[in-house]
Amino acid sequence: MYFMGIDIGSLSCDVALIDDNMNIIATSVIPTGARNIEAIENAKKLALSEAGVMESDITATVSTGYGRRRVNTRLESVTEITCHARGMNSLLEGTRVLIDIGGQDSKAIFLGKNGQVLDFAMNDKCAAGTGRFLEAMARALQVDIEQLSKLDYGAKKNLTISSMCTVFAESEVVSLVAEGIEVNEIVSGLNRSIATRTSSLIKRICPDLKDFSIAMSGGVANNSGVVRALSKALERDIIIPPKPDTVGALGAAIIAGEHWLAKK
Amino acid sequence: MILKHFENMISGIEAKLKKNPEGTNARKKFALEIARLGKKIYSGGERIAWCGVIAPFDLLNAMGVTSCFIEFVSSNLASTGSVEKFLESAEHSGYAIDICSYHRAVLGATIKNQMPMPDFMIATTAPCTGGLAVMEVLAKKFNRELFVLDIPQDESDKNIRYLATQIENMIDFVADRTGKPLDPSRLRKAVENTNETRKILKEVFSLAQHIPSPAKGRIFSGVVPALNLFLGTDTTIKIAKAFRDEFKNIIDDNKVDISNEKFRLMWLQSRPQFKTTIEQILEKQYKAAIVVEELNDITWEPIDPENPYDGMARRMISSPLNGDIKKRIEQFKNLAQDYRIHGAINSCHWGCRQGTGARGLITESLKEIGVPVLNLEVDVIDPRNFAQGQINTRLEAFMEMLGTRPSPW
Repeated sequence: MYFMGIDIGSLSCDVALIDDNMNIIATSVIPTGARNIEAIENAKKLALSEAGVMESDITATVSTGYGRRRVNTRLESVTEITCHARGMNSLLEGTRVLIDIGGQDSKAIFLGKNGQVLDFAMNDKCAAGTGRFLEAMARALQVDIEQLSKLDYGAKKNLTISSMCTVFAESEVVSLVAEGIEVNEIVSGLNRSIATRTSSLIKRICPDLKDFSIAMSGGVANNSGVVRALSKALERDIIIPPKPDTVGALGAAIIAGEHWLAKK
Repeated sequence: MILKHFENMISGIEAKLKKNPEGTNARKKFALEIARLGKKIYSGGERIAWCGVIAPFDLLNAMGVTSCFIEFVSSNLASTGSVEKFLESAEHSGYAIDICSYHRAVLGATIKNQMPMPDFMIATTAPCTGGLAVMEVLAKKFNRELFVLDIPQDESDKNIRYLATQIENMIDFVADRTGKPLDPSRLRKAVENTNETRKILKEVFSLAQHIPSPAKGRIFSGVVPALNLFLGTDTTIKIAKAFRDEFKNIIDDNKVDISNEKFRLMWLQSRPQFKTTIEQILEKQYKAAIVVEELNDITWEPIDPENPYDGMARRMISSPLNGDIKKRIEQFKNLAQDYRIHGAINSCHWGCRQGTGARGLITESLKEIGVPVLNLEVDVIDPRNFAQGQINTRLEAFMEMLGTRPSPW
């Protein structure tokens, strides 16, 4: 038996495939683009082909992410908050504070000892501090999004990006470029800006972090510059699991398996 | 435009009531009275007074003044889906988008000549200073006198006398402008009606606490604050009785579907006044019901007809929305216990400093008794500040979280 989790986010569509022992068989990540139904099908195909499994072999699917209701074959849909918590608990048992920065949402989740969600906080309506924010900033700096994670090396000025809005931050970055400020200083300032916003979300759900292990999921966890800035802001280590962008999909797959087996 | 809306509302509800006079009609009867009040205000033939939310409406009704709080207009504009152009009108005139939209909509309606000219105005310094500021703007715009009731923060005898004296001065202010002095027998009758309404509403609350609750969906949403406008009249008694009898029948006839009540929720502040799918999501997907709202409560004691001004002063001062946050938190804890609440949702209405300033303390205090709080951070009047997708994710995640917790009761 195989179980599938599909996380349809605003930027990427992620799939995780597990067997009935909850072992990960395959994962896939592709850009969502403008047609999420197509993205879902392509991400599924990619994961199935990696695993060498037929779609008809999938026993149950759970969907998550903002497009979770677009998956017709789902057993049920579950929010990203529950799925990321479940996925992270299976990868890094004992995680109590989870940071998930995705395409348009940032979330801080406080987990119980068994991985259940005890509390959560999400970013307000603005996308500042999310994957979209980083995309816009990479565009303003005319660099590739993947490059952005290493471009803060050697920054010394402690520059601050003061704008709390993605659009204004972009124009602030353009102004800094025009002033001749080095790219590494600007990127470092951007990372600090994300770290400040994300820390305040985390402090809302867990004011005292000292006894709890902190992990991060979502696509932005692949950006080592943001992780470093966040770690510095929280004065704590942040653990990143392998393939952090598929943690939500993994959680969804595990829930699919558990719910299917419970029904049986 | 707004007058036409109220007229259509009246004819529509009257037709429905005529068609099914014995149905579950309490909400329709309530809405009919709201529409009739709206029509009265917008018809231009009545003496009207724009007021603060906690003004002594029973006293004003006893003096023959059609009185109404200004937020009535914003709420009705939002419920008809027409509020955005009024909000934009206020914004175009320089009122910032982060001002409370209840008040921004009133400012827009004033700019667009859709706020009827009052004969006079009675403001209160509680529950919010934003409301008072808008009343001052309106007084200037309409060139009408504004009487301000200064509400003290705590219930000492001295403070009660201080406010009671202001209420007595307010009577002179109103009588000077209407040419009609207060008739003591009408005041006595109004106070008796107020106390009777209080008694019946307490019965309604007690029925709403029943498991499963007959007060699901939107049936009882926003009723008590709006009924305050009719305090002292037979209307409040009639409407309160309609809800009491309807709730009693629902419970006696086992008409409530218990399967729809896995989770009982408490709503803090107002619910969105425009159409949303919140209740459907909660009830259909998660079998969760909003069984009580913060504002659907009575926290004041009966008023002594022999000494009505002290009683009215005490009622205003004792409002949980006035004074320090302890009173409000205590009210929430009592409601959570009385209604056996599993979780609370705080709309955290944008621009409401009084409502959201203490959200951390509220969350912590309810958490202590095992009731988690979801802070939604939405605008309950301005649909432009209401991202349905994000709200759904928050609501759904909150419900999933409640599903993994033991009940606090």
